[in-house]
Amino acid sequence: MLPIILLSVFGIVLLFMGFLKSKVLLLPATLVFILAALATTFMDWGKTYLYFQNMLLTNNLAILFTTIVLLSAFMVVALSNSFIEDEQAQPAEYYALLLFSLVGAIMMISFENLIMLFVGVEILSVAMYVLAGSDKHSPRSNEAALKYFLMGAFATGIMLFGIALLYGATGTFVVSGIKSYVYTNAYGVSLLLYMGIILLLIGMLFKVSAAPFHFWTPDVYDGTPGLFTAFMSTVVKTAGFAALFRVLSVSFVGVYSFWWGTLAALTCLTLLIGNVTAVYQTSFKRMMAYSSISHAGYLLIGLTALGTQTKQALVFYSLAYSLATISAFGVLLVVSRQRQDTNGVNENFDAFNGLARQNPLLGFVMAVSMLSLAGIPLTAGFWGKFMIFTTAADKGIYWILVFAVLMSTVGIYYYFRVIIAMYFREGAAEPVKVAPFYRYVLIAATILTLVLGLAPGLLEGLV
Amino acid sequence: MNASYLPSDYLPVLIQLGLALGFIITTMIVTHSIGPKRKSQKKDDPFECGIPVEGDARTPISIKYFLIAILFVLFDVEVIFLYPWAVNFKGLGVTGFIEMVLFMGLLLAGFYYIIRKGVLKWE
Repeated sequence: MLPIILLSVFGIVLLFMGFLKSKVLLLPATLVFILAALATTFMDWGKTYLYFQNMLLTNNLAILFTTIVLLSAFMVVALSNSFIEDEQAQPAEYYALLLFSLVGAIMMISFENLIMLFVGVEILSVAMYVLAGSDKHSPRSNEAALKYFLMGAFATGIMLFGIALLYGATGTFVVSGIKSYVYTNAYGVSLLLYMGIILLLIGMLFKVSAAPFHFWTPDVYDGTPGLFTAFMSTVVKTAGFAALFRVLSVSFVGVYSFWWGTLAALTCLTLLIGNVTAVYQTSFKRMMAYSSISHAGYLLIGLTALGTQTKQALVFYSLAYSLATISAFGVLLVVSRQRQDTNGVNENFDAFNGLARQNPLLGFVMAVSMLSLAGIPLTAGFWGKFMIFTTAADKGIYWILVFAVLMSTVGIYYYFRVIIAMYFREGAAEPVKVAPFYRYVLIAATILTLVLGLAPGLLEGLV
Repeated sequence: MNASYLPSDYLPVLIQLGLALGFIITTMIVTHSIGPKRKSQKKDDPFECGIPVEGDARTPISIKYFLIAILFVLFDVEVIFLYPWAVNFKGLGVTGFIEMVLFMGLLLAGFYYIIRKGVLKWE
């Protein structure tokens, strides 16, 4: 569990690096720190270890999820070169908070004790509340931070109540201890256990913005500065689903018949609300918020149809979704900043008008990312959806499959609006300027998306 | 898990709850029905005696008060850890000492950070 210690120490180091006169060192230092954490993650590859008095458990699945989270964070940080020019920005604090939130994410991914799940969720969320309000002079950013904080604190309270009830029912906080309780009392499980499961699920589903706990998502994603929205919609979601998978697949798999119906209903509701509401958006950023709700729905299918294929599907889908989301936000960031309208940054669909003619590269990156999010073949998103749908088919839950396919056709409509705006509309004449390093990151994300789309077997057999 | 408690064992709690509720409800009904009623400007004030109310509660207060308050709580809570450590100093041995030095190091790093940030400057 070296990454947790390293990231905590590096975060403090970054805070002190903020006192240096020049801010130039901060960005490369943060990238090196994340890479160092990523390298130490693989020290435990192929083994199963318990750390910190049985509080955390690492296995290959946890390492893969940690890799996705750290990779996403690396790419988000690499896209943050605009902080150096911004007078108002405080990059040292932002980067330190990002590293601290990664500590929380890793704890959520590899917890063995429910206390660690709670602590991880809190570390991640508190850092996110601050970053949501990091644009101090924008009322929308302030609103986002306040909304996220109030609702997040409430959801955490519900989750903690659920954990307390689980302790009341089983007498243990340990994930595998709850599992053995469920198996030894297969016919007479305490009622408290059921209530605990439901409350814990509510708290976690809030964090991954599944309906009907999604109401904060559009406003918070919209108001938060774009870079941190990208972080929120990739790292928080991946960590949240890793935590949900661990608790459902280890502790509660014995009472699958109890919770699968609830989860199936929520899955369908999430898919319906996410996809249908996204159609009506005029702001691209808000559309991405609803799209992230709908992707939470697809990931939930994998959990509803919990089986042997689920973990592989979740890993692949999270990776594909994170890559596509980061490149979409990367293009949005640079375009919205340089094509401003009267209200400041322009985050609407019309900001992309004619982009492909002036900036073929940005147009291509965005097109691939939209195709991947829509699940068109030859992109990683297609195989992600394919694997998720396979889990449902294996379990024999065909109605959810039909519904999800219907909803993903709705998704094609709003993802293609961006492509149409870029390729078939007339827009501003001057091209958007992109820094070289920024361009490399976008190209890398796009290439990874295409490679995973052409050779989805690359990740096979790792978990 | 101690499974030897029966639902009837919780009866005293229920009785206590009933008594507490009953007392409140009874006193409220009785005071409202037998007490004299006088209404005046002074009677309707939130504070009947003392300094007259001025403005409303939404006056902006300098952020510095909050910062000082939160820093006080932080360092206050951290000092609490020193007491059990001091009591068990011999028992915890070298490991305890190293852990405490780490803890104090982090604490002092935070202290240095807030001084450098100028949080304690009051103009």
